[in-house]
Amino acid sequence: MQSLWRADWFGPLVVTVVAIIFIAAFNPSFLSPLNIQVLLLAISVNMLIAFSQMIIIAIGQMNLSVGAIGGLAAISFAGMMEVWGLPGPVAAVLALLIGVVAGFFNGFFIAWTGISAFVITLASLSIFKGLNLAVTRAQPFYGVLESVKAFGATTFLGPLPWLLIPAAIAFVLTWYLLNRLPLGRHILAVGGNAHAAELSGISVPRTIMAAHAISGLLAALAGICLVARLQIGQPTIGDDWLILSFAAPVIGGAVLAGGHVSTVATVLGVAIVAIITQALVLFHIDPFLVQVVLGALILWAVGVNRWREVRVARSLKRI
Amino acid sequence: MQAEETSVTAPNAATRAEGRVGSPRFYLTNEFGLLVLILLFATIFGLATSGFLSKFNLFTLGRVAAINVMIGFSMMVVIVTGGLNLAVGAIGVCAAMMCGWLIEDIGIVWPVAIVGGLALGAVLGFINGFAVVRSGLHSFIITLASMSIFFGGMIFLTRAESFRELPPFFSAFGRLKIYGVVSPLLLVAIVVGLLLIVMYRYTALGREMLAAGAKPEAAALSGVRVDRIIIICHMLSGVLAGLTALLLVARNGAAIPSMAGQLGQDWLLPAFLGPVLGGTLLTGGRVSVLGTFLGAVLVTMLTNGLLLLQVGEFWVQACLGVLLLIAVLIDKARRTFLARRRIV
Repeated sequence: MQSLWRADWFGPLVVTVVAIIFIAAFNPSFLSPLNIQVLLLAISVNMLIAFSQMIIIAIGQMNLSVGAIGGLAAISFAGMMEVWGLPGPVAAVLALLIGVVAGFFNGFFIAWTGISAFVITLASLSIFKGLNLAVTRAQPFYGVLESVKAFGATTFLGPLPWLLIPAAIAFVLTWYLLNRLPLGRHILAVGGNAHAAELSGISVPRTIMAAHAISGLLAALAGICLVARLQIGQPTIGDDWLILSFAAPVIGGAVLAGGHVSTVATVLGVAIVAIITQALVLFHIDPFLVQVVLGALILWAVGVNRWREVRVARSLKRI
Repeated sequence: MQAEETSVTAPNAATRAEGRVGSPRFYLTNEFGLLVLILLFATIFGLATSGFLSKFNLFTLGRVAAINVMIGFSMMVVIVTGGLNLAVGAIGVCAAMMCGWLIEDIGIVWPVAIVGGLALGAVLGFINGFAVVRSGLHSFIITLASMSIFFGGMIFLTRAESFRELPPFFSAFGRLKIYGVVSPLLLVAIVVGLLLIVMYRYTALGREMLAAGAKPEAAALSGVRVDRIIIICHMLSGVLAGLTALLLVARNGAAIPSMAGQLGQDWLLPAFLGPVLGGTLLTGGRVSVLGTFLGAVLVTMLTNGLLLLQVGEFWVQACLGVLLLIAVLIDKARRTFLARRRIV
C-alpha cells in the first residue's frame, strides 16, 4: 500500500477514475461511443505533445519550441503532398526528419554553447515559426490526400480512432527508451545530476542532442497526426501547445529540475486534461474557462508534487 | 559617459574598470557593441531605403521601440532575481482591459482608471510573487500556469470584446509628435528607464534586489528579506507590464484582448530579446538598464528596416530568432575572452 501511494501513476489514476465516474453519473452521454471517440482523438495527439516535452523535462531542461517544430512539420507534411505531389508515407517520413533536424538544432546549440535551453529554444521557436509563416504566408494547405484524411477521421473496433495507433507506438517506445535502453537511463542521469553523469562516463552533450532530436521527432509526429485530424495543413498548428505540453508531465509527477519522469503517469495526465476539457463542454461551461482550468491544474499538480517532495524529505530525516 | 552597468557579483577593481570610456573593456561591453550595431544598421538602412530616415518613419520607430523597451523592462526586473515572468503579456492585457472597463462600463475618469489598471497589474504580479515564494517552485512553472489563468479569466470576463470608446486623450497621446519626430511614448520609456537606473544604483531596495538575485543565501544572511524582495520584483514587473499595455492602448486607440496574442505569448520574444541582448544575466544578480533599452531599440530598428527593404513580413520573425541566437553566441564569446584576459 505504501509503495502504491508513492507511485507516480497512482494519484493521477485515482483522479481519472473518480472524474470518469463523477461525470458519467451526472451526464450518461459522457460514455457514449461518439464521446469516447472524441476523447481518444484528443488524448492521442496530446499524448505525443506531452511526450515531446517530457523527454526534455527528464533531462532537466525545457523546450519552448515544441509547438513551433510540430507546426513546421505539419505544414511541410501537407505542403509536400499538395505542392510536390508526394505520396503520404514519403511526406510523413520527410516531415518527421524535419522534426528530428529541428530538435537536433536545439540540442546542438544548447550542448555546444552551454547557454540555457530556455533562451535557445525561445530563439528557435521564433525561427521555426518564422519559416512556417514564410513558407505558408499564413495560408493553410488544403491538398491533404484522401488516404491521410481517412486515417484521421475513421475508427476501428467501434470507437477507437486510427490515430491512437501512432500514439500507442510512441508510448511503448518512449516507455522502453526511458526504462530499458541505456540512452534513456543516460537522459535521466544527466537530468538528475549532469556533473555526476559526466564523471561516470556519460557524454552529456551527446545525450542532450539525442534527447532534443527525440523531442523534435515526437513533436513532428504530433503535428502530422493533427494534419490528419484537422484535414488541412493549418499554419497555426502548434501555437497553443506550450501550456498543455507542460501540464500533462507535471500532473504525472515529473520533476522540473530533471531526472524523474513517468511515462504512464504522463498519459494519465493527458487523460485528465482531456476529460476535464470535455466535461466543461458537456456541462455547457464557458469554453473560455478552459485556459483557467488548465492553469489551475498545473498549479495544483506542482503543489502536490512539492508536498510529496517535502514529505519524502521529512521521512528521510526521521530515519 | 559611463555605461549603466550594475553588478554586485564581483566588486573588485577589475570589474569596476569595466564600462569606463578609454579602458579597453569598455569596447567589449554589450552597450558599446549595441551602439555600434545601431549606428551601423541605421547607416545601411538609411542608404539602402529612401524612407528610413524620414520624419514619419523615425516617429513610428520611436513609438514601436517604446513598447518593446517597456516589455523588456517588465521582464528585466524579474530576471534580476534569477526568475522569469512568462505572464507579462497576460498581465499587461488584463491591466489594459481593466482600465478600459473602468472607463466605459463604470464611468470613472481616465486618470483614476489608469491607476486602477496599474493596480491590477501590481495585484497580479503579487499573486505570482507570492506563489513563487510560498511554494519554493521556480517562477517558470508558476508564471506559465498563471499566464493561462489570467488570460483565460480576462477573456471569460470580457467575452473577448474590445473597449473602443476610450476618451480622445489616449489616441491623441499616441499620435502626438514632439518636434515632429519624438513620440511621447518613447519619453515615457526613457523616464521609466532613468527611474530604474536610479533605483538599482542609488536605493537600498535596488541593491537588495541585485543581492537577492546574485546569491540569495548570502543576501538573506546579511539581512535582506529575500522573499519580500522577490514579491516586490514581481509586483514591479506587473505594474510595468500594465503600463506597457496602456501605452499600446494609446497607440491603437482601443483596448483589445488580442493585442498581445494568444495568452500574451507575442510579448515573450521581445521581453527576452531586450534584456538578453543588453547583457542582463538570466541567472540574476546583474542588470543593465541601458543595455535593455539599446537592445530593444536595435530589434525594433531591424524589424522596421527589414520591412522597408521588403524582405517580407513573414521572414522578419525568423530573422529576430536568428538575431537572438547570434547575440547569445557573441555574448558567450565575449565572456570567454574576458575571462581568459583576466586569468592570463
